[in-house]
Amino acid sequence: MHGHQTTLNFTLPSKVNTLKKENRNNATVMSRFPIHPVTGAGIGLRSRHYREIIDTRPAVPWFEALSENYFGAGGLPIYHLERVREHYPVTLHGVGMSLGSADPLNFDYLARLRKLAERIEPAHVSDHLAWISIDGRHVHDLLPLPYTEEALIHFAGRVCRVQDYLGRRLLIENPSSYMCFENVDMAEWEFLRELVDRADCDLLFDVNNVYVSGRNHGFDPVEYLHALPAGRVREIHLAGYEEQDNYLFDTHGYRVHPPVWALYEETIRHLGPVPTLIEWDNDIPELEILVDEANKAQKVLTDVEAAA
Amino acid sequence: MTSLRDMQRMIRDAVFETGANGPALAAISEHIRAGDDLAPAEHLLIYRRAILGTLVRALGAIHPVCKRLVGDDFFDAMSRVYARQTPSESPDLGDYGASFGDFIAAFEPAAELVYLADVARLEWRWHRAFHAPDEEAVDIAALAGVAEKDRDRIAFRLPVSAGLLESDYPVQRIWQVNQDDWTGDQSVDLDAGGARLIVWRQDHEMRIDEPDNAAWLLLEAIEAGQTLGEIGNRAIVQDLDTVLPRCVQQGWIGGFELADGRNRR
Repeated sequence: MHGHQTTLNFTLPSKVNTLKKENRNNATVMSRFPIHPVTGAGIGLRSRHYREIIDTRPAVPWFEALSENYFGAGGLPIYHLERVREHYPVTLHGVGMSLGSADPLNFDYLARLRKLAERIEPAHVSDHLAWISIDGRHVHDLLPLPYTEEALIHFAGRVCRVQDYLGRRLLIENPSSYMCFENVDMAEWEFLRELVDRADCDLLFDVNNVYVSGRNHGFDPVEYLHALPAGRVREIHLAGYEEQDNYLFDTHGYRVHPPVWALYEETIRHLGPVPTLIEWDNDIPELEILVDEANKAQKVLTDVEAAA
Repeated sequence: MTSLRDMQRMIRDAVFETGANGPALAAISEHIRAGDDLAPAEHLLIYRRAILGTLVRALGAIHPVCKRLVGDDFFDAMSRVYARQTPSESPDLGDYGASFGDFIAAFEPAAELVYLADVARLEWRWHRAFHAPDEEAVDIAALAGVAEKDRDRIAFRLPVSAGLLESDYPVQRIWQVNQDDWTGDQSVDLDAGGARLIVWRQDHEMRIDEPDNAAWLLLEAIEAGQTLGEIGNRAIVQDLDTVLPRCVQQGWIGGFELADGRNRR
């Protein structure tokens, strides 16, 4: 990796980071909800399943809510999320921070997220190694960064500021990507490793994304996995991709594919029983199908633990 | 070396450019690594398709009646033109499309469908009302408690969910007969007269109401920010003393404040 030694002009964010570290253990003095850790295989919370989850209380260990869907001041979405939260741990996952953007941080967005986090008391809050806007124009898709020293300094500094603002550590997720840049200083996994060091954040490892990106860009997902700081991966995502003519596209609209299950097993053997989420965002099926996928993930978690 | 900001601007320009030979796509291609099976520009085009697809689907989800009226292909092509020229300014996709009705009004290929822009405006107001925050009804007791001398300074406001729409065409009828669950007569008489509508939400019930002439004039004045004194002085509404309570009773008034007299004309 080039240019690593020349980057110690990074004092401001790391200082801010140290000052507030005591706020980051997520301890809540007064809690409205039962506090339980997130373990096992959970599923993404989708509006079409609200009623069924609240009425039947399926045996799912936790749910992940898409933060931006609950930013409204009232209305049915937040009402349902609170009912779910009364019985389950919940994590918040977002796509709107635009942490990689050269624009200023969007504090209107962050204020709404902070308010939501205060209300829901999530086990953790995550967003992506990506950018979604420039000059205020939003693309509603996760665009990749060039993995340069400049981008790393920028990204790590913003993660620090957001963590201080939210008073909690963020989980940063590896994106699925369809584009790599020339003249970069490091691979994506090196970027993430450095990011964890500099910003003191945690990671969300999306096994499907790393498989998709690996196929699209010709790298070995297992090498990627082994390069990550194992103790900092707090959550895993699984989803289904779509095979295009000459690339894989991450649609989150299918069951998890066999090669991703194989990579997931390898991941759990390497990282241990990290809480795992089944994500499904397009053509969302019956809850039963999601529970079935989560049960498969749970079996991997249980089997690997038993063998260890 | 190209800065991060410049790279991001180049990518954005290439995403919203048309065709496969434009200057923005050529410029960013210099910075994209060729894959085994894909040329640099093809990598960017994957994002272009995905991003425009997301925006077009979002517009379609908000405007199902417009989509039904013109067909999927026409709607998607029209939406792509809009998406290219209209930046999304919020991370919330639900905020995208406020100007779609104005765009359609000026969109030449749709000129024949004179009512289409107003149908889009109606669907946008429906969408905003559906997602508006919950709100208590206007506090009648507080209103009754306003001193007589302050009465002229009362500035009412519409419910936060509410939007007014005036059209030369029977847009509500067009909207209604194009709902999925509509089983009645599909015909619409375009000469049946225009519509003056307030689209809003009462608790969890969506409403499209048609105020009469006096109530409409009052609601319009309120939406424009006029105080009760101004409305009275300009004789905008006849018989204000009966129209106002009627609007309050209908739920068309969301709240009020006392305007600072010094700052108002």
